[in-house]
Amino acid sequence: MNEKQVIDSLTKFIIRHKTREDEFDTLALQIFEYQFNNNLPYQRFCRQRETTPKTVQSWKSIPAVPINAYKSLTLSCCRPEDIKRTFMTSGTTGDELRGKCHHPTLSVYDTSMITAFKARFMPDLKTIRMGILFPTENEMPNSSLAHYLALAYSNFGSDGSQYFITTEGVCLEKLFAELERAEKNSEPYALLGASYSFVHLIDQMEKSNQTIQLPKGSRILDTGGFKGQSRELDLDDFYERLSERFSVPRASCVNMYGMTELSTQFYDNGNQICPSKKSGPHWIRSQVINPATGIPTPKGERGILVHCDLAHFNCVATIQTEDIGIEIDNGFLLLGRAKGAEAKGCSMAVAEFLKIAQG
Amino acid sequence: MTLNLGYFQGIESSTTEWKTLSFDRGRGAIEVAVPVLSETQLKSLCTRVKNMSQTYLKTIPVSDLVNIIDTTISSFLDRTNPYRQQAEDLLPRITGYDPEMIRLGLTSYLKTFRKVELNRFLSEDFSNPKILDEFQPLPKGGLGRAYGPDLLFHIWAGNVPGLPIWSLVSGLLVKAGNIGKVSSAEPLMASLFSKLLAEIDPKLGECIAIVWWEGGQNKWEEVLLKQADLVLAYGNNDTLRQIRNRTPITTRCLTYGHKISFGMISRSALDTGKSWTTAHQAAYDIVRYDQQGCYSPQIFFVEEGGAVSPEQFAQFLARELENFENKFPSRSLTIEEASIVASWRQSEELKAFSEEKRAFLADPNGRWSVSYSETAGEIYPSGLNRTIQVFAVGSLREVPSIVKPYKAFLQTVGIAASPEELIQLASQLGAIGVTRISALEHMTTPEAGWHHDGRFNLLDLVTVTEVERTAETAAEAFSDYVD
Repeated sequence: MNEKQVIDSLTKFIIRHKTREDEFDTLALQIFEYQFNNNLPYQRFCRQRETTPKTVQSWKSIPAVPINAYKSLTLSCCRPEDIKRTFMTSGTTGDELRGKCHHPTLSVYDTSMITAFKARFMPDLKTIRMGILFPTENEMPNSSLAHYLALAYSNFGSDGSQYFITTEGVCLEKLFAELERAEKNSEPYALLGASYSFVHLIDQMEKSNQTIQLPKGSRILDTGGFKGQSRELDLDDFYERLSERFSVPRASCVNMYGMTELSTQFYDNGNQICPSKKSGPHWIRSQVINPATGIPTPKGERGILVHCDLAHFNCVATIQTEDIGIEIDNGFLLLGRAKGAEAKGCSMAVAEFLKIAQG
Repeated sequence: MTLNLGYFQGIESSTTEWKTLSFDRGRGAIEVAVPVLSETQLKSLCTRVKNMSQTYLKTIPVSDLVNIIDTTISSFLDRTNPYRQQAEDLLPRITGYDPEMIRLGLTSYLKTFRKVELNRFLSEDFSNPKILDEFQPLPKGGLGRAYGPDLLFHIWAGNVPGLPIWSLVSGLLVKAGNIGKVSSAEPLMASLFSKLLAEIDPKLGECIAIVWWEGGQNKWEEVLLKQADLVLAYGNNDTLRQIRNRTPITTRCLTYGHKISFGMISRSALDTGKSWTTAHQAAYDIVRYDQQGCYSPQIFFVEEGGAVSPEQFAQFLARELENFENKFPSRSLTIEEASIVASWRQSEELKAFSEEKRAFLADPNGRWSVSYSETAGEIYPSGLNRTIQVFAVGSLREVPSIVKPYKAFLQTVGIAASPEELIQLASQLGAIGVTRISALEHMTTPEAGWHHDGRFNLLDLVTVTEVERTAETAAEAFSDYVD
């Protein structure tokens, strides 16, 4: 297949309501072959694993690239001059290498996002008035999350939807004025943004003993975890306080799990119970593996998540994350980032070394 | 029945809370219980241990202490002794290490605490160990006596079996009362040693207590930090910083942080006859306790120009690591440990196919891996658990300047080189902070009386009271026999 054919098949596949397992496999193998042929560093990586399109029978045995590889390799099928948009991973210290995902078009990304967002966050409504706790796409052109939220805003946000964060910080006054307006109105309201922005917001509200009674049908979407940006919080505590401050039931507090290295997102059906079950649409599949051996862990046991996202057609569809998960029926539990674990002995481990060496 | 660990006297064990720790490292799941004393109980324990240290321990001659420790150790060396049997049975299940590796490791480690070795240990730090018993003439004039702390608080970390014994024995030799907090990763050996010691000398047993609490629970730690005369802490730098910050300014706090050790192989050890042995010995240092010790190698620098090239040596090393899988199979790793290994392997693998002059050799099941590079650029730790980096160097003399930036973290260097090279490298390495140089195959078995991280481990624990010559002379004037 060439790029156009890949895009066409994918788009058709995504907008179908249901697909069979073997259809997923077929498309996954076609896309693997496309990436193997057009993405040379990935081809070398696969050859090192002694794997080629000829040796692979199922999406489960497509070599998964560790997300770290994006930092040192250019993993892209299209020509550099055809790149329309590049999303970059967020570094935690600023001076470290950032992984880059190149997109020759965002049409597949957008179809993927819109289709799944509709199904998981907006099944009952066409549009909703939104408040977004994240900078705009113009302010952060390399952030996939900024693009994701821009799609939510332009496709599902009703008139009056607004952004409340700029690169300068949160416009609290504007935000509270809007929330008070929503409180008085009976129309459902949606707050969307990075998890850590919500932490700052609830901290602020608790300090001034402020609560907002959002109308019935209102909902919250948080994403990204806390990543050292704010205090690390216990999830149960986070959703309890979030729900309490905005009077939004925990069942309507949805967490989205996405990554720069993917073009598709996972959602839960609210957070009454933490950790919640995450699942994705029919064009993405996940496995939980033992990172040392690459072998899938038995259902119910902890391991590292590997995702095969067909929509990520230009880079590499199958990636190995650094997130710990447990496979359960029709989804997985996300247990957070493998912290590089405290070394058990007195031998210095990489994480500690880097911390000290970088000052 | 769950085995109760920890050790203390004077508190009814039924009045304390017990917390169960579960281990399942693929060698038979096991649960043990560790005591969580209340703050009041901890305080009374401190008083009791201090009191016993003052009234009993300080009065026994150090040579008697040596005998009691020797008797304890010899029981522990006896494979029919129930405590020894318990250690051999439980340590592999708690830590996941190979049982045979544990058995051999225990014997070779405990041997370093026999009477003759303990005396050596003492004379390493004290030219006249009787200074621990009574006032002794000092070379500069006057008299001096060394006092160990009444309460020495040990904070242990890690899972290398038996390390707490080293610290406890040091405390006892200087007549310190000891309270040790065991790590959740290996709570066994300190408890067994103390119980056995108490059977041999019950009163000495009262000078020790072994306790536990959840890491990061400062409430308990604060009680001990306030009561202790001296704090001896092991762990990573973050933990150590916190402990040091919470220790009262008038209490000394000695810290042992995590370290990096490495090996150096000269072309003289790389002829066709000797290179296999060299690789075997290097692999043994990697395999023993899966690089969890501060003395375990994480990098080997291999000199070019020998009959066997550094790259071939890396292949030999890989083969030996594979062979060791039969003798001492690697442990099953937790997801967190496996993630560290996997992320190290992935990044080395990526380097190998994006940079020339690199090679990556690994067991497909992730049990060991060797990353070879023809140039030694920046150094960084390995992924541990049998992952090793091999760097080629034109001459071993280049190595000190490569590792120099990491002076604060360097510890052991295992060297395979000729006598001339050894002496020359030793002076270069000493100057950049390396504190221990050993033969290959011995990196993980320091000899008795070694100076951990280059410190005087007994001398650091004592304070000396000096009677100056003026006092002696002046006293003469008031004697009965004064003319």
